[in-house]
This record gives sequence, structure tokens and C-alpha cells, in this order.
Amino acid sequence: MFKISDLQSQEASLRGLKARSRLILFFLIIISLAGVIQIVKLTVIDQENYVTESEKNRIIRVPVYPARGLIGLAKDNKLIVENIVAQQLTINSKSTTDIASTIVDIQKTIGIPEEVVRTFYKVLSSNPRNRNITLMDDLTEEQVAKYLVNKERWPSSNLEAYLKRYVIDNSLFSHVVGYTGAISSQEREDDEEYRYSINSRLGKSGIEKTFENELRGKVGYRTVEVDVHGKEVRELEKVLPSKAKNIFLSLDQELQELARKGLRGRRGAVVAIDPNNGLVKVLVSSPDFNPNIFNETAKGDLRSLSFDTNAPFFNRAISGNYPPASTLKPFLGLLGLESEIISWSTEIKDEGFFQIQDEGRKYRGWKEEGHGIVDLNKAIIESSDVYFYELASKTTVDQIHSFLKPFGFGQKTGIQLTGEGDGVLPSRNWKLGRTGDSWFVGDTINLGIGQGYITTTPLQLAVAVSVLATRGKAYKPNIVEKVDTTFIEPELLYQIEIKEERNWKKLEESMISVIRSWNGTAHNIYNPEDFLIAGKTGTAQIKSLTEENLTVQEEYENVRKDIMNRDHAIFVGYGPVPNPNLTVVVVVENGESGSAVAAPIAKLIIDRYQKLQESDV
Amino acid sequence: MSKRVLDYNLNRPFSSSGISLSFIFKDTVLVFSVLTVLVFGLFMLYSASGQSESMVIRQSVYVGLGFMGMLFIAQINPNSYQNILMNLYWIGLVMLIYVLIFPDESHVTKRWIDLGLFSFQPSEVIRLILPLSVAAFLTRKDLKPKYSDWFISLAAVLLVSFLIYRQPDLGTSLIVFISGFLPVFLTGFPLIFIFFGIAFLGALSPIIFSALSAYQQQRILTLFDPNADPLGTGWNIAQSKTAIGSGGFFGKGYLSGTQSQLDFIPESHSDFIFAVIAEELGLIGISILFLAYALIIYRIFSIAYGSETIFGRLASASIGFIFLIFILINVSMVVGIIPVVGVPLPLVSQGGTSLATHLLAFGFVLSVKRKSGW
Repeated sequence: MFKISDLQSQEASLRGLKARSRLILFFLIIISLAGVIQIVKLTVIDQENYVTESEKNRIIRVPVYPARGLIGLAKDNKLIVENIVAQQLTINSKSTTDIASTIVDIQKTIGIPEEVVRTFYKVLSSNPRNRNITLMDDLTEEQVAKYLVNKERWPSSNLEAYLKRYVIDNSLFSHVVGYTGAISSQEREDDEEYRYSINSRLGKSGIEKTFENELRGKVGYRTVEVDVHGKEVRELEKVLPSKAKNIFLSLDQELQELARKGLRGRRGAVVAIDPNNGLVKVLVSSPDFNPNIFNETAKGDLRSLSFDTNAPFFNRAISGNYPPASTLKPFLGLLGLESEIISWSTEIKDEGFFQIQDEGRKYRGWKEEGHGIVDLNKAIIESSDVYFYELASKTTVDQIHSFLKPFGFGQKTGIQLTGEGDGVLPSRNWKLGRTGDSWFVGDTINLGIGQGYITTTPLQLAVAVSVLATRGKAYKPNIVEKVDTTFIEPELLYQIEIKEERNWKKLEESMISVIRSWNGTAHNIYNPEDFLIAGKTGTAQIKSLTEENLTVQEEYENVRKDIMNRDHAIFVGYGPVPNPNLTVVVVVENGESGSAVAAPIAKLIIDRYQKLQESDV
Repeated sequence: MSKRVLDYNLNRPFSSSGISLSFIFKDTVLVFSVLTVLVFGLFMLYSASGQSESMVIRQSVYVGLGFMGMLFIAQINPNSYQNILMNLYWIGLVMLIYVLIFPDESHVTKRWIDLGLFSFQPSEVIRLILPLSVAAFLTRKDLKPKYSDWFISLAAVLLVSFLIYRQPDLGTSLIVFISGFLPVFLTGFPLIFIFFGIAFLGALSPIIFSALSAYQQQRILTLFDPNADPLGTGWNIAQSKTAIGSGGFFGKGYLSGTQSQLDFIPESHSDFIFAVIAEELGLIGISILFLAYALIIYRIFSIAYGSETIFGRLASASIGFIFLIFILINVSMVVGIIPVVGVPLPLVSQGGTSLATHLLAFGFVLSVKRKSGW
């Protein structure tokens, strides 16, 4: 175990290691010398220069934020979102050594809720370098008075006036204007141009978010001299911020109110657009919320709102996906005519159900006994399901997909709001990707009555119906009519050409008859003295009815016991004919009847709009 | 059994029994020097972070855990896990490949592994693992390494450096290469190869420069003229030089550095904390810190040379050099004589991974001492 040769090799390796170590050490000492020389040069020889240099550093730039732009309606320039002055209490964390006792004292004297103090400490600990941090926003007059009396005791605190956001009509425009909120740490990290301070608020949803750049404006700055504690000594230069831009919406306040009243707080949405330019006149999602709670200009409980099963923050008008149901029938009729599967004179016998080659599953229509002999005109007026089952069975999903796409189904319209939904315009690949199954003929037949995989948002449906109103023109829906004084030009998305131009007109006549004709599904809203309206009702099934031994009516009676299983009521329409100027889509969730629940709201809006137009002239 | 141990055992007094401080610490001077720098670092971090108590508390937890880890490792016989150390290389390799394939989405560069509770950079850990596992590999037979051993080690080191370069992190990649090359060099790798290697790289340098990414080129160019763009890439260097220079001989006083407290030094709590020390405590403060560092390094080499095993000696010496090189690189970077590479000031800069690696390495050195004193 003990060998002389081992010992020798041990000694040799130690010598070798020492020799190599000295070599490295020699090399490193040379480098260290360079470092030592540099340190001595900086701290001893050039010290004077650097002292001056560090003095110069005390001159800093302080950003100056412009007041946030306002939001109004293009009509009469009526304001709907403005800034109001409030007082906030800030703490300069650098100028006091004992923040905790100062805070406790202030809290006791003027009364500050515990959670506000907790938030303050959270911001403080995550931003140790920040000097001025808001302790409390929106002080009451009493709090301000109490503060002013005692302020000598807290030299590190400061009362500052600031502007806060106020939505004048509270909930009326909630889903459109959106709300502002305190800047998050992620947003601050992404803010590479230093456009925000730690106390900034910015748009979190709706117009407030999509037009954040315009509403914020360009930040200016002041050059100031500061002392060692960062406290301002004097101002040297000031560059004013450029004014923020104001946003004017195309919405109409009266129609908006009318739609909101019409929905009476039920879950649903109303969208109205001018088919000739895409300007949005009504965009209501119900139930709604008061954005001022987020803006912290109104008291309210956000928690209970966010746990509300009716989802008041969800913008159903642009994000809700609903089956278009029978409102899809005019489009499919047009497809049948275009591809020459049917003509206006094609007739079928509607006995209340449809079967592929008279066998297999029965696809039932909504009317148990059927509509008898039906042509396209009657199929639209009475909304015969069987006619469209048969039509769909003669087409393919590919045909339907490529025909409906230019109408805007299955794609975002590109409206300037946050959270727009896509809807679904199914295709073979879509279904394969989504469910792993291939496309079945039965799926196409369901498409025939706008059920199955197809869904649309109310806004998408409004764009599609506007194409019928304008005989082929699809405009991008536009809710911002002008930014400051610059009008936003209407944008034509696509122009649809069909072989027989007169089919537009004939289809429109069928849709007029939906209301005018005694057997039309929306005849209940007909008034011979009013303008002509073209429309179509729809009743979107939530739960499929499959019991063959029950009638549709009997089976639905069981289903409707649960309110959430009841059908959605839909109505689409435009008027007045000729020269329509408003397309309206109304969706009432679980409203059951398109004609009884949805159609009257649409009718009211179109009528009122005509009266408003007249009085404007 | 070597002669030294024999000598020692013959001369050993009978009275040394029971558990004393020196029994746990192994090398009281080394442990107390380390502790001094650690505490000093916490005080400087408080100043450099804008007096953030939460950051100091978090760092204190790392310091406490690292210190305990160091003492724990000090109690284990290093030869008992020489083989394990050798194979740690593979774990390091797997981690580096992992970050390249599954980068942590919350960071721009592919350097981080997120373990939920905390995230760390494998490249920081590899700086410790690599020299130890290379040393373990080279000394596994207690003989002078063969050429094949050296070249296998070199290939392993180059592979790791290349992976880090791809993260991309040129600075760390070079440092890891140096730390892995140290044991190879210390065991007597022929100098002629090194001269050829350097000559080869020198000839290729124009091609290498053009292959670097734009930001790496910019960093190197900034070095030569930091004043060219005082608000852009040269900002760090210019501000840190101003801080050091204006500190002068005595410094501006603790918590009173205008450069540090008014936030003119970017990354003042991590890579640039040396500038804060220089501004507030002056040349005197720096000298005291350097003295403590020198004591640590001196003790490491004493332990290394006194070790009876080739492995313990080689690994300890490598650790001593890496520690010294890190200090040199960080200080040279902060005073503006080399480009900015992301190397923290050992034991002082904020950050758990770097702190833990150094402390665990010291634990290893201490355990080598135990071996010789057994």
C-alpha cells in the first residue's frame, strides 16, 4: 500500500501544479495591475472630473402627462366619457426613514381602509426605487380637510390633484367604451418608451384600450434640478405634452337607450349598423356593468359582478357565438338559386319531416303537420325547415362554406373593440381538426337550418344581412366615426356578384313578406302605415330534440323547464325598403320566440331611427 | 497513504477531541473571511437596491442557506464522491440542452429553468460543476493524465461552451470555457498546444467577429469608445465610471452616493454593485473588500497545496482560480477595461444561483482540508 514510486509521483505532481499555478497567477496579476491602475486613475487622478460629472447627473427629466382624450358621440359632439378632478395622497418613500409609522398615523387620522394600505405596500416593495407612490386615490372632502389640518406632521406626504375617468351615462355604453385601470407590472415592462409612470392608468378594454395611443397623447417633460434625495430644487426647462386626441363614436344615444330598454336586462345583444357605410348605430350587450367602478369614480362590488353567472362583462354583441338558425335561410336560398339547385318555382311537399332517400333518421321541422306544398318564397315566409333540409341535402359543405364566406361568416369583422369573436363557418377540415371526425351528410342537413356547427356573432350577422340590403356590398363595421376632426372613411370589405341580379330583389320581397304577409313568421310587428321592413326570424336550439315518439311540441315542453335550455330568439332585418339605412340584429338568449321577443325590438329601433333622420333634416 | 498523513498522525496531539468551532469550520480563517464578505455584501445590497428591505431579506435567505450548504459539504469526504462529481457533467449537459429546446417563456434568452418555486440559470451552475468534474476525470487514476484524457476533457468543455454560446451568451460561454480549461492546464497540458491554439484563433479573429451577433459586436465596440453613445450602450460604463471616480479616496458615505441612490447606475444591485461600493466607501472601502478576497484566495491555495490527494489539490486550486478570475472580470468590467459581460461580483451581487455555487465550492475546499487533517 505504500510505494516509493507513488510518493515520487505525488511530489512531482505537486511541483507541477505549483509551477502551473504560478504561471496563471503571473498572468492574472498583470491583468489585476491594469484594473488597479484604472481604479487609482478614476478615484485619485480624475476624481475632480467625475465629481463634476456626477453633479451634472442631478439634473433630471420629469415626464409630464397630457390629460386623457375624451370620448363622445359624433352626433352633436355629445360627451360620454370625460375627466374629472380628484385629489390623491402620495408618499415620497425617499424622504422619510420611517414610512410605517407615517402611514399608520395618516391612516388613523384621515381614515384609510386596510386593503388600500396593503396595496400601497405591495407597490412599494415591488418598486423600491420609485419615489412618489400613491397612497390613496379619490379622497373625500372630509379626508382632504383632515389631511390639510395635520399635514405638517407628515412631510413625506403630498396632496396632488389628478384627473380621473368618468363615464357620464354609466352603463349605457359600457361594452363599447370599456374602462381604464392601473398599469400592471407587465405593462410597465413592455413600456419601453417611458410613456407611463407607476401611477398611470390606461385603457383595459373597449375603445379605451383600442384607442389607447390616441387617448393618451404624447408625453412631454420638464428638466429639473434635484437634490441628493431626488427632491426638486428648481425647474430649468419645460416641453409641453401634445394634446391627446378625442374619439367620437357613431352610436346613437336614443337608439342605444331604446335597445337597452327593449332587452330589459335579459341576456342578449342588439346591433344596428348603417348598411351603406358600416357605421355602427347601436351596440348593446345585456346585462351590462358600470365602467365607473373600474375607473374608480363609482363605488361598487366588482367581485359580485365577476361571479355573476349572467357574465355582465361579456360583450355578447361582438363576442357571443350563436347559431344563426333560420336567419341563415335567405342566404342558403340564394346559394340554391346561384348553383341552380333550385329555382323560384321549385316546389317540395313539406310533411313535417325530412329523410334522406325516405329512410333513416327523421329531420323534423318546427311545425308538426308540415307546411304542405312549399316553394322558396313560402319557405322563407313561413320558415319551412323541411325545404331547407332538402336544399342542403343537395349541396355540399364545401359549396356552403365558399358561398357564405364573402358574407363575413366565420371571421372577425375587424371592429375597433377588444375581444371580438370569430364565429364558426364549418368546413370538412374544420370539423376534422376540431372533433377528429369526418364530415357527415347529416351535418350538412343541419347547416340547412343554420344549426349544427355554424355560429355567428350578432355583429357578423348584421354585416351579412347588410350585404342583402345593399345588394352585395359588405362594409367593415365602424364604431369610431371620427378621431378629433378626422373622419374615418368607410371600408368596403368585399363586393359579392351574383348571376341573376333580380334575385336580390326577389329575396328582399320574400323577407318583406315575412312581416307583411298574414302567414309570415314576424307578421305580429306589421303595421300597414309604417315603412316596409325586410326581416327574418330565427329560433336557435340549445338542446337537440331527438325523441322520435314525441312530437316536437311535446318534447320541447320538457326541455323548456330549464330556462337555460330554452331556445335563443333571433331577429334580423333592415329597413326602410327601398333605400334601407339601418340593419338590425337582435338576439335574446333563451328568449324562445324570434317573432314575439326579438322582432319588436328591431322594429322599434328602425322606426325611431327614421323619425330621428327626419327631425335632423 | 502518503508521507504527510503519516507525519501528521505521528505528531498529532492527543488532546484534540470533542466538537469545537474549528472542527465544524475546518478552516476558521477562510470561513470568517467568507462570512465577512457576505455580511458586507448584504449591507451594500441594501444601499444598492434603493434601500429595499425585501430584496435584502430574500438575499439573506440565500446567504443563510448557502452558508449552511457550505458547512454541510465541508463534512463529507471528497474522495467518496469523486466518481459522482465526474458524472455530474452529464446532468449539466442535459440541463443546457433542455434550456435550448424548452426555453422558459418569461425570459428573452434561453438561459433559465423555472422550477416553480424559483428559477435558475444552468450556465451558472455549470461554472462550478465543470472544473470539478474535469478535475475528477483527470485524476481518477492518481497518475499524470494521458493525452487522451486531456483531449476528452477539452472536447467536453468545448461542447458545454458551445451550448452556452447558443443561448446566446458569449460572455458566460468564454468564462465556462476558462473554468473547464483550468484543471487541464494545471495538470501540465503542454504549452505548445496552447500557443498554437491562440495563434490559430488570432488568425481567425476577423471571421469570428463578423459571425458574432450585432449586440455582441456592439458590446465590444462600445468598450473602445464608451463616450460615443453615452445614452445608449455606453451608458452603463460611463455611469459606473462616474460613480467610482466621484467616490474618490474616502467615498461619499454609506447610503449617500448620488449615482447609486438616484438610480444612475443600471443593475446597481447585481452586476454593477462594485460601482456602488466604490462611490459610497471610496478607495478605502474597495481596498478592505479586496483584502478579504485576498485572504479567502490565500486560504484556498494553502488548503490546496496541503491536500494529500491529487484530486483534492487540483479541484481546490481550480476553485481558487475561478473565484479570482470572477472578481477580476467583474471589477474590470465595472471600471471599464473589458466589455460588459454578465458576471456578478462573487458573494456580493444580488442573485441566489451565483452565491450558492461559490459557497458550495468553498464547502468542497473545506472538505479537502478535513481530509488532510483526519
